[in-house]
Amino acid sequence: MSDLKNKIDDLLMKVNKPARYTGGEINSVTKDVNKVKIRFAFAFPDVYEVGMSHLGLKILYSLMNERDDTYCERVFAPWVDMESLMRERDIPLFSLETKTPLNMFDVIGFTLQYELSYTNILNMLDLSKIPVRSKDRKGYPLVIAGGPCAVNPAPLSDVVDLFVIGDGEEIINEILDLVISCKKDNVPKEELLRRASKIQGAYVPSLYVETYNDDNTIKSIKPVEDGIPVVIKRRIVKDLDKTYHPDKQIVPFINIVHDRIVLEVFRGCTRGCRFCQAGMIYRPVRERSKETLIELADKLIKSTGYEEISLTSLSTCDYSQIESLVYDLIEKYKDMGTGVALPSTRIDAFSVNLLNEIQKVRKTGLTLAPEAGTQRLRDVINKGVTEEDLVNSTKEAFKAGWKSVKLYFMLGLPTETMEDVKGISDLAHLVADVYKDVNGTTRGLKITVSTSTFVPKPFTPFQWYPQDDMESIINKQNYLKELLRGKIFSYNWHEPNMSFLEAVISKGDRKVGQAIIKAWESGCKFDGWDEQFKFDKWLEAFESIGVDPKFYAYKKRDFDEVFPWDIVDVGVRKDYLKREYKKAIEGRLTGDCRLYCTGCGIKDLDEGVVCFEA
Amino acid sequence: MKLRAKFKKDGDLRYISHLDLMRTIERAMRRAQIKFSLSKGFNPHPLISFGPALSMGAATHGDYFDVVIEGKIEPERFKRDLNKTLPNGLEIIDCYIVDDKDLLSDKVKEAEYTVDVYLMSYVIDLPDEIKRFLGRDEILIEKESKSGIKIIDLKNYILDFKMIEAKGSKITLYVKLKISEGSPGPTYVVKALDDFLGHVFDMEKILIDRRNLILN
Ligand code: SF4
Repeated sequence: MSDLKNKIDDLLMKVNKPARYTGGEINSVTKDVNKVKIRFAFAFPDVYEVGMSHLGLKILYSLMNERDDTYCERVFAPWVDMESLMRERDIPLFSLETKTPLNMFDVIGFTLQYELSYTNILNMLDLSKIPVRSKDRKGYPLVIAGGPCAVNPAPLSDVVDLFVIGDGEEIINEILDLVISCKKDNVPKEELLRRASKIQGAYVPSLYVETYNDDNTIKSIKPVEDGIPVVIKRRIVKDLDKTYHPDKQIVPFINIVHDRIVLEVFRGCTRGCRFCQAGMIYRPVRERSKETLIELADKLIKSTGYEEISLTSLSTCDYSQIESLVYDLIEKYKDMGTGVALPSTRIDAFSVNLLNEIQKVRKTGLTLAPEAGTQRLRDVINKGVTEEDLVNSTKEAFKAGWKSVKLYFMLGLPTETMEDVKGISDLAHLVADVYKDVNGTTRGLKITVSTSTFVPKPFTPFQWYPQDDMESIINKQNYLKELLRGKIFSYNWHEPNMSFLEAVISKGDRKVGQAIIKAWESGCKFDGWDEQFKFDKWLEAFESIGVDPKFYAYKKRDFDEVFPWDIVDVGVRKDYLKREYKKAIEGRLTGDCRLYCTGCGIKDLDEGVVCFEA
Repeated sequence: MKLRAKFKKDGDLRYISHLDLMRTIERAMRRAQIKFSLSKGFNPHPLISFGPALSMGAATHGDYFDVVIEGKIEPERFKRDLNKTLPNGLEIIDCYIVDDKDLLSDKVKEAEYTVDVYLMSYVIDLPDEIKRFLGRDEILIEKESKSGIKIIDLKNYILDFKMIEAKGSKITLYVKLKISEGSPGPTYVVKALDDFLGHVFDMEKILIDRRNLILN
């Protein structure tokens, strides 16, 4: 082991950001590997700075290490400079804590945050000489995967032994217990998996077959033997307030993407934006009490020394006691220079005023996401924001002294026309007018407009809707480039090919999984990184296995079509999604279900599932 | 009040940058509940200043930083409390009060280094070669600076340079250098020697340890 550490040491002066690979940060966990029953590698298929920013890692790392019988270590995808040196010198991928090769672990748990990180999963396995296909792996390590993208497990079905669907902290202990007892009794892997498949929320893809119709749509996904669940019910934390939240977080030496304490205020979202997968698959809203949060914040601030604490959730301004929570935290810690951060801001004057209080301690940027350029299209996607909201909130912001604002939109939303695209530019100009009204000039103003490309996602009302084609997106981007001339504006857009691939994989079946393996074999990795993305290799990969990627992204789906992800029940009912789809096309809004229930069906998923009531 | 702390940084912490080091110390002070003064304005940060930056990968056993503290704290206490919260690889070895107007940057004059290098081919008498190297009238090298590449004479900076140990192919050199605006670090000296000897060192595997900063 120390031999491997020396070999790694020899590489560190040759790579960018060597501290990505050293570990040893404050609050990282050290254990005696001989005194635990199970060694778990939490694997994040992207670089250290991205992975370390992720809340799920923080929660599960601490939770698993609370157990005396378990040692959870971290492993990240090495950047390409490190990888090539490792391959050259035959150095296996290793954990940060003890520099143990990945293939020595009992369980490797990947988190699936983003479809374009899937090739990194294969690469990470391969870097430790672990066969990428589950059928080629005989014993341990067991490869498991969870996270939001696991709601459609199909594309990674040949790779992953066991998926966990839903809230990880709810199921992980059951999985660990099972593995420990199976290890003790020398239970073979197939039997272990069979037993695991009976845990609610666990999906063992090798116990199911996917069959197809002549038109390539799915015919069925069925268990291959009796006694295996026919549908996988998502696991849900019922009482978040009583659920584990770490009171320590690792403090990296190098700057990471979100370099601050992350405190999860609530889970779920009630806004019902129709494009948003998170808003559907994390239902219902479950809050932590203010008392719990204040107590956690205090422990986290003391144990990390961080200068900023982020109150995170899908829509933090919706927290029932947001104002008093924010004010209390500011008051308590401002003398230490520790500030509060809100990851997302609602578009209204209330939220902007809250931000203004926050920035008295520490400066914070202003980012607003109207998502679509016209009222018509915002109604289609159920984004309950009006032009007036945008005017009022930016007016407050400019009065308070902000000089720059970031506006986020999506291109290619269902029913979008060029008129809607122009609306994006119109809104940006409107914001500029507001600034002029407040300051008498546009001097000093900076408006950044960013567009991502709409990707239809499983379990959203738009899962039936085709993605806008790449050419059309490029046209729209070019149009916006024209319209947003002038030095107060800057325009950022997203690589359309990447969004296309994201759509293909997120709605993909097991055949798409074959293409992922092919693409990786031909050198694809870090597909979410512009400079690494090799779109032509991907197209070749699809071609070579005889699958048309356009089928997945561009086909308008029938309401009665079977989807690869129908094997999973996230709790939100299909007929609710259909109803939302129809309302979208008619441009009708659905209200925030914090105010009154709109009947998504989540409460029927499981006993004890309750929605937050204001 | 202003404290001056002498510290060491080695092990894996050699791989963190100067900015990373600043953040690491700031957060360790917060964990130790040491009340340091904050700069005014947006993004308040501690009033902390360091000596000349260490290059990536270098260790130190005698660098300094100055920090302004709110109220009063015993230097011994500062050292003890901070050492409890610093990560492995960072340690305060000394701490004392200095006058508010005393600037670290005015004080640093010289630095002592050890440099470990590995020989790729045999050199008969390295100490003697170093004497020959130093015996020249001038040792001109190219050095990158903000305003482009400059030719400088290393002889204006080298105060002492010798071999102190040889263990197999591993050689330990001792270098003492003058420190001033734009002065060269020990890598330049070792590289110049390597050029002089016709490339005998593995320059990819060189380990610098700043043993001591000498203040006046
Ligand atoms: S059951 Fe009703 S209140 Fe609960 S998430 Fe669904 S729509 Fe909202």
